[in-house]
Amino acid sequence: MLKLHNLYKVYRTDEVETVALNGVNMEVRQGDFVAIMGPSGCGKSTLLNIVGLLDNPSDGNYFFFDENVAPYTEAQRSKIRKQNIGFIFQSFNLIDELTVAENIELALLYHNMPAAERKRRIASVMDRMGIAHRANHMPGQLSGGQQQRVAVARAVVGDQPLILADEPTGNLDSVHGQEVMELLRSLNKEGTTIVMVTHSPAHADYAHRTVNLFDGHVVTENTRAA
Amino acid sequence: MFWNNVKIALRNLRKHKIFAAINVLGLALGLTVYLFGGLLTKYERSHDLFFANADRIVTIGSVAAPELNVGFEWMGTTFTAVAPIIEIEIKDVEAVARSIASEFLVSTGAESFYEGIRFADPALLDIFDFEFLQGDSNALDDPSALLLSESAAIKYFGRTDVRGEVITLDNEFDFHIGAVIRDVPLNSHFRSSLAEEFGIDFVVPVAAFKRMRDQEVDTNWSNLSLGNMTYVLLPEGFTADWLRAQMAGLYERLVPEDQKEVISGFTVSPVVEANTSLWDMIGLPVIDAVALLSFLVLIIACVNYTNLATAQSLGRSREVGMRKTMGASQSQLLTQFLVESLVIATIAMVIAIAALEMIIPVFNNAASKALSLDYLGTLPWLVITTLVVGIFAGAYPAWLITRANPIDALRDVARKGKKGTLMRSIMIGAQFAISAFMLASVSIIYMQNERVKDASYEFPRSEIYVIDRLDIEGISDKLDTLRQELEALPNVEHVAYSWQVPYEQNNATTGLLKNPGDEASEFTLMNLNMTPEFLDTYDIPVIAGRNLSRDIANDRRDDESTTLNVLINELALDKIGAASAQDAINMRFYASNPESKVREFIVVGVVPTQNIVGLFNQKKAWFYHYTPDGLRIASVRISGGNIMTTVDEIEKVWDRVVPEYPIQGRFLDEVFNDVYKILRFMNLALAGFAFIALALALIGLFGLAAFMAAQRTKEIGVRKVLGATSTQIARLLVWQFSKPVMWALFIALPAAYFGSSIYLNFFADRISTQLPILAVAGAIAVLLAWGTIAGHAIRIARADPVLALRYE
Repeated sequence: MLKLHNLYKVYRTDEVETVALNGVNMEVRQGDFVAIMGPSGCGKSTLLNIVGLLDNPSDGNYFFFDENVAPYTEAQRSKIRKQNIGFIFQSFNLIDELTVAENIELALLYHNMPAAERKRRIASVMDRMGIAHRANHMPGQLSGGQQQRVAVARAVVGDQPLILADEPTGNLDSVHGQEVMELLRSLNKEGTTIVMVTHSPAHADYAHRTVNLFDGHVVTENTRAA
Repeated sequence: MFWNNVKIALRNLRKHKIFAAINVLGLALGLTVYLFGGLLTKYERSHDLFFANADRIVTIGSVAAPELNVGFEWMGTTFTAVAPIIEIEIKDVEAVARSIASEFLVSTGAESFYEGIRFADPALLDIFDFEFLQGDSNALDDPSALLLSESAAIKYFGRTDVRGEVITLDNEFDFHIGAVIRDVPLNSHFRSSLAEEFGIDFVVPVAAFKRMRDQEVDTNWSNLSLGNMTYVLLPEGFTADWLRAQMAGLYERLVPEDQKEVISGFTVSPVVEANTSLWDMIGLPVIDAVALLSFLVLIIACVNYTNLATAQSLGRSREVGMRKTMGASQSQLLTQFLVESLVIATIAMVIAIAALEMIIPVFNNAASKALSLDYLGTLPWLVITTLVVGIFAGAYPAWLITRANPIDALRDVARKGKKGTLMRSIMIGAQFAISAFMLASVSIIYMQNERVKDASYEFPRSEIYVIDRLDIEGISDKLDTLRQELEALPNVEHVAYSWQVPYEQNNATTGLLKNPGDEASEFTLMNLNMTPEFLDTYDIPVIAGRNLSRDIANDRRDDESTTLNVLINELALDKIGAASAQDAINMRFYASNPESKVREFIVVGVVPTQNIVGLFNQKKAWFYHYTPDGLRIASVRISGGNIMTTVDEIEKVWDRVVPEYPIQGRFLDEVFNDVYKILRFMNLALAGFAFIALALALIGLFGLAAFMAAQRTKEIGVRKVLGATSTQIARLLVWQFSKPVMWALFIALPAAYFGSSIYLNFFADRISTQLPILAVAGAIAVLLAWGTIAGHAIRIARADPVLALRYE
């Protein structure tokens, strides 16, 4: 599904050149659940941004479904992104002015989908995530765990085949963290490919495969039997 | 999607209540001013259009010859001799009519009041389609008929079916009512508050004027009174330009040579311009200024909005980032933000309209105008204004916020970085430049107008009660009795009669000769006819020689006089060739008009130069003489005692001596206020504009300072932890906004200097303090800005540093 070949990302300011990714090679197959780990500043988030088509690599090739998307413009990336990728963030990134249902709807809003169809999907995904009774609440009225469920609901409501999760449990306590991980696992079982950045070895255990990054390199890859 | 955007906009408003209030109210204020200015401008420029022939009616005016030196280039009036010539020479015109305005005492059996009478040619009723309640458009064919307005009929008779009733003018001339017309709407030059306040309540045939005033009208080449109008109805398909060409030829061939030194041509103006012709003549672009200023206020309000919205939108960059991550394109997000600003613009527009609905009736009442917010007619304008304001004001923040790539947006890079600060500074600068410009130029205009007012106090205007219209036959032979009885009143100090009193506008000059019979030595002086008591009444000292006296034969002109003793003012010394006031005594000058009976004038006294006509006129050279049969106004100097009681006593004396005519009295103050009206209106309007502009700029600055201070909370916390004092931090915040404000002054003050100089050029007697006023206005703008920001800065600077740090 994804193939990263010799990927570089270099940040330049006037005086300093920072190499965030230093020749990363990686492959993710359909149905995979991959955890990316590593210390702060090792390039995890940069990698996830590039995988998520939010950013371009400085050098190297990135094949998304056999299509080299590395040189694509923001407009082209945006198109692929909205069809294929759902995002979950550490800080949830829910919009405070919108209700739960409307926050979820956001993911469908830019898909030219009729309102009735949007409604149906939102209702169904909220049922699945157990937040149906919160539909008309504002994010500020929910607990962290509930907020992250909303974010997960938003990531999957469009039936995107790939979910990118950037420390989805980072802002949650252990109980809520575990809940979210269970949610991701069941999504994966239903066929969604998941790439997740995490600091927690316990949560990394939910994945089939762990990629360890250090200073922009892939250091080790461990595969677990599913 | 659209409603989704509207919904978010409304929720955002609710969440940030203070910013929302500032945004909406600021914009609403700007819109109110702009709409009001627009309505007023349109109102003043659309007078008389309800007349069926409005597009074919023109008025004939005169181009002032340079020699005339009257201070304006043209007049909306011409000689009454012109209309008959047009009728004969220009066969194609459909109708020509004059209207001569004059005041008369109007009486029915019970009531009598002084009223403005229009003497008109019968064709006036063909040119203007008045609505007749009684009679018809032939009413003026009968030389003893009178046409009455509905409200005048009700005033005198209490009803409108008054055809055939008799009305007497000046207790002498009887007219029967031939027609009653529906009142002409307020938005007609006939009733305009800008032009002549004469109304069109009584219309009498011109033929009657000849009889009553014993004046030839059809051959009159000497009177250019502003109240006199000449209307022409153009034939279908002919333009004003056509008539202009015809009139030019007519001028060359038929205007008497000596009149060509008075007028150098004719003007032809559409009747729609008649309403504003007075201001056009003076050359003060008052209406354009109102339109421009109200537009500037709207611009300030828009910039205000843009500025605040920009600052505020940075706080929403996470939302934008999220939407972009979800696949929203920049154009979709632009739409979202523009919809938001359109929502705000719409709310502001609704508030502005509501405000106008309250303001307009009050204004109409105070200014006797008939402005109206005709929704059907103005809807396109309102909608377009809303759209333009919403898009114009929202475009920049929308573009700025949606431009960032999704990662930067999610990380809130914009909020932390310097993005947009330059643009924001430029906007604050622009806003302050406009408001400082307005404040400074308005201050100068205001001070100049005040100076005109101050200068008027050279005459004791609040102590003088003037009684007008003494030149009526039934009154003029009782003046001696009247004076003696008035002087006998306990608090009356002096009583003087004269042809005019100070502040009355007058450009009549007298041609005189230095040497008898020598045309080359001709010069002109203004002349004032007055009784000797005039000097005491107006506190005018005699510098050299003596005052005129009732007891010296040559001091007063009678039918036999060939030599007349006169006074001159100091400015006239040079004109008659005198080296000093003392030197002028007993000097002589001579009449240049061969028909004048008086041939020789002898100077017996010199008085200081005063600005008798006031306003923008220069001080002029005058001579003062005493001609008992040309006295029009009494000036009664009152001192001490209860003024109102004294006025009552004066009225009682009047009623006893002249029982046939009501008294036409008022204080000299009111005479001044009449001519000062335009300037006072300007003072008020300009001060209002400047105040609103400055208030908007300060509101904007307040909002922005609040926002930027919130942005820098963390920085402030760190600085405090490192030992910065509250004062240092407050100074930091104040300084951030001071730079654009200072830059604004560099642009605004020179512009104000230039702009106000144009205005000052209208005045002969100018203020010399233009630069200090500019400096003070600039300082006020800066101080207000500092005060506004400092209020915030100090509060934030004082906050606990831990609190400041935790904020992030």
